Amino acid sequence: MKDKVLRKLNILADAAKYDVSCSSSGSSRASKGGLGNAKSAGICHSFTEDGRCISLLKILYTNHCIYDCAYCVNRRSNDRPRATFTPAELAELTVSFYRRNFIEGLFLSSGVLRNPDYTMEQLNTVVRKLRNEHRFNGYVHMKSIPGADPLLVREAGLLADRLSVNIEIPSELQLKRLAPEKDFASVYDPMNLISREMLASKEERRKYRNAPRFVPAGQSTQLIVGASPDKDYSILKLASGFYDEQKIKRVYYSGFMPVNEYDNRLPVLTAPPLRRENRLYQADWLMRFYHFRYDEILDEQHPDLEPSIDPKLAYALRNPHLYPVDLNKATHEEILRVPGIGVRSAKIIVANRRFGKITMTHLKRMGVALNRAKYFILCGELLTGTKTLYPEQIRRRLAGKKDMAGKQLSLFEAAGTDLNQDKPSSLING
Amino acid sequence: MFKQERIYTYDGSLDGLFCVVFRAFEDKVSPSAIIPRKAGYQVPLGEILPVDTVSSNAQRVWKKIIDRSDQKNARKISVAFLSERPETDMLLWRYLNKLFTHPYGDYYKNMLDEDVYEITQTARRVRMEVHRFQGFVRFQRTRDDIYAAAIDPDNDIVQLLAPHFKGRFSDRRWLIYDTRRKYGIFYDMQQISIVALDDDSFSLTSGNIRQNARAVDEDYYRTLWQHYYDAINIKERKNDRQMRSFMPVRYWKYLPEKDR
Repeated sequence: MKDKVLRKLNILADAAKYDVSCSSSGSSRASKGGLGNAKSAGICHSFTEDGRCISLLKILYTNHCIYDCAYCVNRRSNDRPRATFTPAELAELTVSFYRRNFIEGLFLSSGVLRNPDYTMEQLNTVVRKLRNEHRFNGYVHMKSIPGADPLLVREAGLLADRLSVNIEIPSELQLKRLAPEKDFASVYDPMNLISREMLASKEERRKYRNAPRFVPAGQSTQLIVGASPDKDYSILKLASGFYDEQKIKRVYYSGFMPVNEYDNRLPVLTAPPLRRENRLYQADWLMRFYHFRYDEILDEQHPDLEPSIDPKLAYALRNPHLYPVDLNKATHEEILRVPGIGVRSAKIIVANRRFGKITMTHLKRMGVALNRAKYFILCGELLTGTKTLYPEQIRRRLAGKKDMAGKQLSLFEAAGTDLNQDKPSSLING
Repeated sequence: MFKQERIYTYDGSLDGLFCVVFRAFEDKVSPSAIIPRKAGYQVPLGEILPVDTVSSNAQRVWKKIIDRSDQKNARKISVAFLSERPETDMLLWRYLNKLFTHPYGDYYKNMLDEDVYEITQTARRVRMEVHRFQGFVRFQRTRDDIYAAAIDPDNDIVQLLAPHFKGRFSDRRWLIYDTRRKYGIFYDMQQISIVALDDDSFSLTSGNIRQNARAVDEDYYRTLWQHYYDAINIKERKNDRQMRSFMPVRYWKYLPEKDR
């Protein structure tokens, strides 16, 4: 019995690892006297050697699948060890990990067994067991199985904190080429259903305080970067549409891992495009926390993010007429657009100008990345020699840095956050 | 403002530090150093005054903090105090001195002032560690069905973990024990109390509870977790540097997934 569960865990965690999302934030469940609660800030319990956060027990219900998508390791034509949990095993595993504080909750996904409805019903059974039999009140993220009956999706939405439907391939043409059994409708239909239900539940709760909550942590999606020839511009446009129309909480970008090298519909890569993935996350951050529109970050003439500099810096260099920004006078919005200044620093600058002039000493103390910011600000005095530089000279100075690879993550770090959280942490302020 | 300087020592508690502040104001003698009287403490040369902790004096300082700022700021001061960086005591003195004497009522919000900024940062670092340990605490079940965990954080934060774990695991008894500071918090399904245990209750290398006290299936769950940790990793994306920056090596010793 114990060996059986260990074997299933090995197979089904390994098969789940390509799903990027592990966020446990955005949902706040108070304890009800049973087991568990959910914190709106999200908590990381460990970090794997690839640097990703472990927040949830991320696992598949089964890795059997009736589909044969080119990019997926679990496609039916692959010869791999297969396994399926029983709902009871999976619920008990989750609770035993949770009680030891290994995890924040469960992220339950699955290959498609028999048909979408059957699979979705199995996932619902697992979470129903957790909620009802184990009185589990912790965080649950469920994958909505494409093609499942709306009634089953609705039930899932009432059981889970978050639902997600992965778009995987950023354009329909490419999706149909790589996953002939899928189309955009099979992704957009459940997404729209979820966002409609969320809206309805919010309305209900305005009238009746105890009306049930539908996916209180919202929905997310994931797309694979580099498996198809789609440009960054169309990826950002797609993501921006998800944020505006489907009210998606997070879009995850997953650098393509060549898992099925024999499939000649897929590009041949020596390594996953991690740099590009990181630039997309930075651009995504700019849209969500720095109030950039997707078409300010890229346009038809500049359809790809630059590998050597971050997208905010690229924006500044393309728009020299907007700089320098006088930190002692400019608006919050203008300061947010200065390369090297993060959300927290921008807030501190604006809130404290009434006490005196902001100087370089203050910026340094706040952790502003002066190596980038200094070319774009007025701050009492301007650093000598920077005033006369042309954008191309600045680009050469900043892109030439040999430690650019290490600096890539500074956008996340500046926001005082990690990938587990949906937004820069406010809990550590004040 | 104060013409003379002197070295103060106190008992290591926040009330004790407040009494130093009280005494310094009363005598109009500014501290050149403030040193907690912990085991093996050393004092530099100079005039030394050991201050006793008098609860009514501490209360008056506490009340003054709230008068001059607000509850939230008072809370920030008490959190910053838990930082075990040696410069924190003097930083708190400089900050409280400014808070009590500055003519502007909201000077405590002035982040352009170095000490105000540093106090905020110090409290932020302590809260960051609390947040980290909400994730890094690892419970093991004992034969008596108590979930017990050892921790060894940089700052004295074990009590700040209480509300989180009480909210989460209200239906079992649990214990979180700081093996360096040799005290912990115990929840008995009613309330939380501060406890001290025998030195051999936890292994200081692995954080494990004594073998004869562990529930029989603990090793099994530990193995499951270690396997999960390995299986969920993507080898082709190895990024050791990032892993270590989020989970510094000093925190590994009580994490089963890192102890092999």
